[in-house]
Amino acid sequence: MSLVDALWFRLRVLLRPGTYARELDEEFRFHLALEAMQREHGARGALSAADARFAARRRFGNVTTLTEESRQMAGLGFLDVARQDVRFALRSFRRTPGFTAVAALTLAIGIGANTAIFSAAYTLLLRPLPFAQPERLMKVSLTTPPRYGEPAHDDRPWSYLKFTAFRDAQRIYSDVSYYTDAQATVRGRDGAERVAAEYTGATYLRTLGVRPALGRDFGAEEDRPGAPKVVLLSDAFWQRRFNADPAAIGQALNVNGEPRTILGVLPPGFRGLSGQAELLAPLLSQNEDWYKWPWSHGLTVVARLAPGVTPAQAEAEVRRLGGVVDAAYPHPEIPDEHWGAAARELDATRVAPVVRRSLLVLLGAVGLVLLIACANVANLFLVRAAGRRREIAVRLAVGAGRGRLVRQLLTESVLLSVIGGLAGVVIAWGGVKALAALDPSTALRVQRIDVLGAITFDSIRLDLPALAFAAALTVATGALFGLAPALLATRPSLTGALKDDGPRPRAGGARGLSGRTALAALEVALALVLLAGSGLMLRSLGKLLAVNPGFDAERVLTLRFGADGVGRDSLPRFYDQLLARLEAVPGVRTAALGDCPPLNGGCNGTILLRRDRPLPTPGTEPSVGIHWATTQWFQALRVPLKSGRLFSSEDREGGRKVLLVSETAARRFWPNEDPIGRPLSVGQGGFWEDTAYVIGVVGDVRFGTLDSLPDADVYLSYAQSPNGRTMLFLRTDGDPLAVAPAVRRVLAELLPESPVYDMRTLAARTADARAYARFTAMLLAAFAGVALLLATVGVYGVISFAVSQRTREIGIRTALGATRGDVVRLVVGQGAGIALLGGVAGVAAALGATRVLRSLLYDVAPSDPATFAAIVALLVVAVLAASWLPARRAASIAPVEALREG
Amino acid sequence: MAKVPEPPQNDLLKGTLDMLVLQSLTVQPMHGYAIAQHIERLSGEVFTVEQGSLYPALQRLQKQGWVTSRWGESPTGRRARYYTITAAGRRQLGEKISSFDRVLTAIARVMDGG
Repeated sequence: MSLVDALWFRLRVLLRPGTYARELDEEFRFHLALEAMQREHGARGALSAADARFAARRRFGNVTTLTEESRQMAGLGFLDVARQDVRFALRSFRRTPGFTAVAALTLAIGIGANTAIFSAAYTLLLRPLPFAQPERLMKVSLTTPPRYGEPAHDDRPWSYLKFTAFRDAQRIYSDVSYYTDAQATVRGRDGAERVAAEYTGATYLRTLGVRPALGRDFGAEEDRPGAPKVVLLSDAFWQRRFNADPAAIGQALNVNGEPRTILGVLPPGFRGLSGQAELLAPLLSQNEDWYKWPWSHGLTVVARLAPGVTPAQAEAEVRRLGGVVDAAYPHPEIPDEHWGAAARELDATRVAPVVRRSLLVLLGAVGLVLLIACANVANLFLVRAAGRRREIAVRLAVGAGRGRLVRQLLTESVLLSVIGGLAGVVIAWGGVKALAALDPSTALRVQRIDVLGAITFDSIRLDLPALAFAAALTVATGALFGLAPALLATRPSLTGALKDDGPRPRAGGARGLSGRTALAALEVALALVLLAGSGLMLRSLGKLLAVNPGFDAERVLTLRFGADGVGRDSLPRFYDQLLARLEAVPGVRTAALGDCPPLNGGCNGTILLRRDRPLPTPGTEPSVGIHWATTQWFQALRVPLKSGRLFSSEDREGGRKVLLVSETAARRFWPNEDPIGRPLSVGQGGFWEDTAYVIGVVGDVRFGTLDSLPDADVYLSYAQSPNGRTMLFLRTDGDPLAVAPAVRRVLAELLPESPVYDMRTLAARTADARAYARFTAMLLAAFAGVALLLATVGVYGVISFAVSQRTREIGIRTALGATRGDVVRLVVGQGAGIALLGGVAGVAAALGATRVLRSLLYDVAPSDPATFAAIVALLVVAVLAASWLPARRAASIAPVEALREG
Repeated sequence: MAKVPEPPQNDLLKGTLDMLVLQSLTVQPMHGYAIAQHIERLSGEVFTVEQGSLYPALQRLQKQGWVTSRWGESPTGRRARYYTITAAGRRQLGEKISSFDRVLTAIARVMDGG
């Protein structure tokens, strides 16, 4: 079998190159010894042993050449060549440590930044969801037509009854289930704790393809009203509360005041689709019965496609089923409002669109940085190749193949990029740690989009795909910046370079020079695109930071507490007592209650009726934000009273109902009128049937996001509309956190066994809201800064090289009477040329590219003229500075020296 | 620049050397030196190429699977590498000989006709 023989031979040679070399050597020596013996013997004493050996050698040929040839024939040639090339490259690196360091560092920054951003993009956008066959999972939502002045919505949660109607009618999914996230109070020996929980359907885990790591899943019998109460724990909760003791299974856990049997422990890292749950419990086993109403929507529905059904088929079928559900539960008040249903792949809901957009922008930006880095290194290589022109020409002349030389130069560039890549991985490692430490979830909840909590920034890490990406990037960049210089340098125009003694500009040189000029202009253009993008983002950030959110966040402590034990009717009295006690705490200036903190990404909303106007048709009532507050709340947050009065002690339950409205509400509902005294009804808090009267107008507060205009808001008094949903706001004299222990003591005294949670300064909360915008803008600015630096260095390199090439020419000009100014103008003119070329191309490209930023910008147009003017000016200054230094050097050239040198 | 004489390595010679090596090995397995001796003796010392150029050829033949090798003991007691022609090698030799014959016939015809 020739094939087997051949393969075997090649394999042996490749796997044991050392043995192969030794054996070949032995074979040669054997041959030479026999030949020498033969000759000595044949000459019968006329030939000395030494002469015979010499003759044998001559007859044999050049051992070194033959060894090399044999190895090449045997298939080891490429290894020899590669080793040679690597050795050659390392030697040339050692000879030029400065060049090597600059080039490697440039590449390291480029590759490192790209790898870090790729890691984030991979984790947040690409990595398969951590469920079985995640591509078969879909999210099913209700859809609503435009109403209450709001646009149509295609991603609304379900009510339990509508869900069952859908579940029983559908045939496209093998499993359908749901969850709703909630907070639960866990009590035990370690005190009370408030934890995130999910109430789910019995088949929730089965639908996702997740199995408990310990114990068992819910059974159908546990998902019924009145069923035995059970709970599943997250791995983290089990470790924390039970020290990872398997005996926890079967024990009882006090959840919301009642014991639940622990059924099992979830696998590590799995915290439900919300990404935060510590506990999972069946929805129907709850005591609350809100799910019995068809218009209580709060369930997120997830479904697994049945075998053979495509997502597109499912989408169409779900649209049809939306009509079935609507027919089963028509809108009780608005007969012609029809809801529908829509399905989308679960993977499409993994992150908020703003995160996806900004990650893609950042990925594009670092890609540009890498391109600039490549252009820069390519330029360095070109400059170096020019210095080696004679060497290369000689080698080409004595018969070195062009391919061989290109290969050698490429080895050099790829090796350099490998060094850069290794350093880049270190940079990426640091970058990834920094990215993982970001927690924009608070800022992003803001978007009011229901995204998968399971995909979080803290799961970003430098994993195998990221490293593979870095490796591929390394090789690709090496080839990218190495190929052009290698091809240019080995262009077969030998005679010119050979005849030429000095580095004078000639046809070939000029071509190389224009190539370098083009590269520098390209760098300038790319840098300009990045500068434009980051300039816009920074301007947007500046405007965002300058936004007046309507309140003063300094020195305010916020926290929530559980008040389950207090009856609804005694709440107002309890709140009075609590606030009085808290204001007595040293360091606390004002204590107040509100139901929702500002910049929360949105609060409660409802509809509003003006009782002194004709009633609008149902479904067209305007919507308002609704808030509960005590009078002190406005003082604690320094929200100004614009007209009228705040709540007083007379505004109690049973009295005349009163409301405060925000300036926006006043302007919207009573334009050019005085809102004080106007009769109103709002859809919550027992204010729908009754009429309430506006007593005051307060300043606008941004409850949503910094970049969204304030809503029309109304405020109800806790005293008139008892509400257990509270957040404490404490304005303090000094550091807000300093009063925390005393506040906890007061709460523990008044509400023993109740958890205190979500304690943060208001300043920290508002910082969250700005964090993500700041993160994107700062990162982009950092990339642009690096790009500008690289481009400046690139221009400097090209111009100073040109000056060194034109030493003799400049000498002659000076000798003929050119002044220093003339020479400086000559050199700076070249820089200006590059700036003009790159600038025009860059502005054109930037105008196109910055349009992708539109959805990320606040109050700044993507083509903002001020920004563009500023960055063009910045770039011109940078380029002129880069050409100024070489120009001064050129101007100080003494003509005699320049001419003698040539 | 002085022109370095071309080493005698054109394709025709390479092919011929391969053929001669294969032909030699049809007699019996041999080590490299014996192959060289065999070719020189039979060709009446017409082939005076460097003996060493045999070895690149042997690597080439092994890589094609036409020849295999193993280490054995030579009559002098020294370790030597012995080459054996494979079945594929014999087939290859047959093809080479017949194409060589065709070329020879063609050349002879041209020469006669001239």
